[in-house]
Amino acid sequence: MKVSFWLGTAAAVLMMAGQAGAQELKFPPGKDARFNWKSYDDFKAAHSDLKGQSLTIFGPWRGEDETLFTSVMAYFAAATGISAKYSSSENYEQQIVIDTSAGSPPNIAILPQPGLLADLASKGYLTPLGDENAKWVTDSYGAGDSWVGYGTYKGKDGKQAFYALPYKADIKSLVWYVPENFEEAGYEVPKTMEELFKLSDRIVADGGTPWCIGLGSGGATGWPATDWIEDLMLRTQKPEVYDKWVTNEIKFDDPAVVGAIEEFGKFARNEKYVSGGVAAVSSTDFRDSPKGLFGIPPKCYMQHQASFIPSFFPDGTKLGTDADFFYMPAYAAKADLGKPVLGAGTLAAITKDSPAARAFIDFLKSPIAHEVWMAQSGFLTPYKGVKPQAYGNDTLRKEGELLISATTFRFDGSDLMPGKIGAGAFWTGMIDYVGGKDAKTAAGDIQKAWDGLK
Amino acid sequence: MASIATLRRIGLPRLIVHVSVLFVCILWLVPTLGILVTSLRDPAQITSSGWWTAFSGASQTAAVRLGDPASARQEGANYVITGSVFDAPQAATATGGEPGATGNGTVRSFGTKVTAPAEFAAGATADLGTGETLVVNEDGSYRLSRTGPFDNGRGRRLYLTVSTPPSFTMGNYENVLTAQGIGQSFVNSLTVAIPSTIIPVLIAAFAAYALAWMNFSGKSLLIALVVGLMVVPLQMSLIPVLRMYNGIGSTFGIPARSYAGVWLFHTAFGMPLAIYLLRNYIAGLPKEIIESARVDGATDFEIFLKIVLPLSFPALASFAIFQFLWTWNDLLVAMVFLGTGSDQLVLTGALNALLGSRGGKWEILTASAFITIIVPIIVFFALQRYLVRGLLAGSVKGG
Repeated sequence: MKVSFWLGTAAAVLMMAGQAGAQELKFPPGKDARFNWKSYDDFKAAHSDLKGQSLTIFGPWRGEDETLFTSVMAYFAAATGISAKYSSSENYEQQIVIDTSAGSPPNIAILPQPGLLADLASKGYLTPLGDENAKWVTDSYGAGDSWVGYGTYKGKDGKQAFYALPYKADIKSLVWYVPENFEEAGYEVPKTMEELFKLSDRIVADGGTPWCIGLGSGGATGWPATDWIEDLMLRTQKPEVYDKWVTNEIKFDDPAVVGAIEEFGKFARNEKYVSGGVAAVSSTDFRDSPKGLFGIPPKCYMQHQASFIPSFFPDGTKLGTDADFFYMPAYAAKADLGKPVLGAGTLAAITKDSPAARAFIDFLKSPIAHEVWMAQSGFLTPYKGVKPQAYGNDTLRKEGELLISATTFRFDGSDLMPGKIGAGAFWTGMIDYVGGKDAKTAAGDIQKAWDGLK
Repeated sequence: MASIATLRRIGLPRLIVHVSVLFVCILWLVPTLGILVTSLRDPAQITSSGWWTAFSGASQTAAVRLGDPASARQEGANYVITGSVFDAPQAATATGGEPGATGNGTVRSFGTKVTAPAEFAAGATADLGTGETLVVNEDGSYRLSRTGPFDNGRGRRLYLTVSTPPSFTMGNYENVLTAQGIGQSFVNSLTVAIPSTIIPVLIAAFAAYALAWMNFSGKSLLIALVVGLMVVPLQMSLIPVLRMYNGIGSTFGIPARSYAGVWLFHTAFGMPLAIYLLRNYIAGLPKEIIESARVDGATDFEIFLKIVLPLSFPALASFAIFQFLWTWNDLLVAMVFLGTGSDQLVLTGALNALLGSRGGKWEILTASAFITIIVPIIVFFALQRYLVRGLLAGSVKGG
């Protein structure tokens, strides 16, 4: 045992030595015209005095996403000479709470839940980023005011301040389909919600099944339904009503919310609309659900899901050819609501202040920090200063344009609500609803849980 | 008749016992077998069909894209594209999988509409309208011909029903074992688990002897306290202990997150159960042996070292197995007290990171399950020989 142990250690040391040398820049600076290299050089010139400092970053990305993020971090390290270390954990939400309250936080925390960040800010664990950063987001992000709002929280002193810089976004208002299946059957991409219903009916009449809906997600089962409800809220109600809903200024069982839930029911509770029948909706895993689109014959023709879902399409799927998306349409009858976009994103906050941490926030404001990830995969940004040609493929570019041109952008409501609701009662409530409970009662149960928090 | 006679000899009660043992064994083994089979399958197969279908050759539907119009040859008045569907690029399908997954199959039928993927039998000539005909043979060769030039820009999509022999792959294991940082995390796991097993066993054995065979005031109270400590949930103490470590770390200028911290934590939380288990075992040793040793003038330390320790090896071994399994499988404690950086991850953490931000990779999950189980199995079989009975045989007359 002992000998093999030391052999193992020796092997590990060798491996680590190999790792340290492997941090190379994915795209050599100055070469590719798709990138904004000037921003990289400017950033390098402005932060040349930090060599040798260290920085720890904690984020939600693991596996392939982690590789992508470290490829971005390599540019930061190369420009400043700061040695930056990234780490993550499966239960990153709990881990960051443990780390901050025990007094050993990372320098930077990147989290996808504004609700959690607000909680950390109210306990005094975050450092305000200052008004100039807030102004920068307002000016340079599409729907900038909305984004600033999602990074502004009440601090320990009770004062509102800008704490978290949005970096990386996801769009949720998308419907995925296989263009060739549409072509073969002669279907057209619907422009309005009314057309979407008509198309669904036509698919049923042709003997097919229009939708794949999968709400299963282990302990988080039910969350895909919250995206549906939020999307439908934005299409049936004014954005102001949506904002009041996520702060519970209007009750969860208000007719406005119940209406949106019932709209969702028109899809998910229609035996003929969903693949496998209504019973399969809550038992199908969201990661397996998109595979129905690619069945032969197809198990369904459309799926409502966020921009990350192509990573669960079968291997070798070419976006744009084998699969594509269209914008989840708005009701023609409610044209005054415009074309709202529902999304989500990750926000970077300083949990332990240092010059290196400030430099990293400045780095996230430079276009190159966005473009390097954009050019690979799975990255959208509302930042208007980036070059759209940097997007790795046309599908990403189309999604990026949707995000920048959004007049109304709203953040995923369940991420804004208190954890016990947005990551608890809302999920289970929707499972109950799909399981046959009436919308008013299901919403009432969620409201009861919310009342219990006060 | 013979079988009835045999049945009578076994007896109904024993038969029921045998059947239920067999039933429980199967109940336990079937999921394990399922995981093993799943870990040997291709990711695309895993999501498209159950593991029990893996052994029979599957009749699989696949989509391929035929050669693009630019590759058409002119033969007289006709334009012709030929090739083999098995060489054609796979279009994405739920059952597709890696290129060549259909490579050694036999084509049973084909179709050009996704709603009717088996419209034509292999070898038949399909009339696709507008002067286009297509033949796909059983061996996969195809011939697409058209009276005029092909006009659409990309290759035609073709759907096939292919019967393939069962196939298994070691690719999942390869992916897990060659992932970056797995070797390092393996060493980290051993560095955590070995001392975290040895330290509590050592200390607990001393304590258990004292609580079982030494007389001092407050002994029962102490035992009650130790037993009571077993109910303290580990999760509750994460933040206070980490805060304490941070305080110690900053006062003495040493890193707060270290292996020593993890060992100490595992020791503290393993101790109550260890003391309780070992005390009960040691207290059950025959009084005569201990007393005769005392009469012969042995000190407590000598009794412990020369008599109690060798006799309680079975209990020590079984607790060591428990503790090793728990520390080896632990993710939470290591994440909190060791850190989450890529060089600090233990094996469970590294495998978890392989699953990616959104999980759902069954092939990684099942393959890693069998990889992590190897070390506990080695430990189990190494310690199992100490779990034999009869160590006490003959030590006491009439005992």
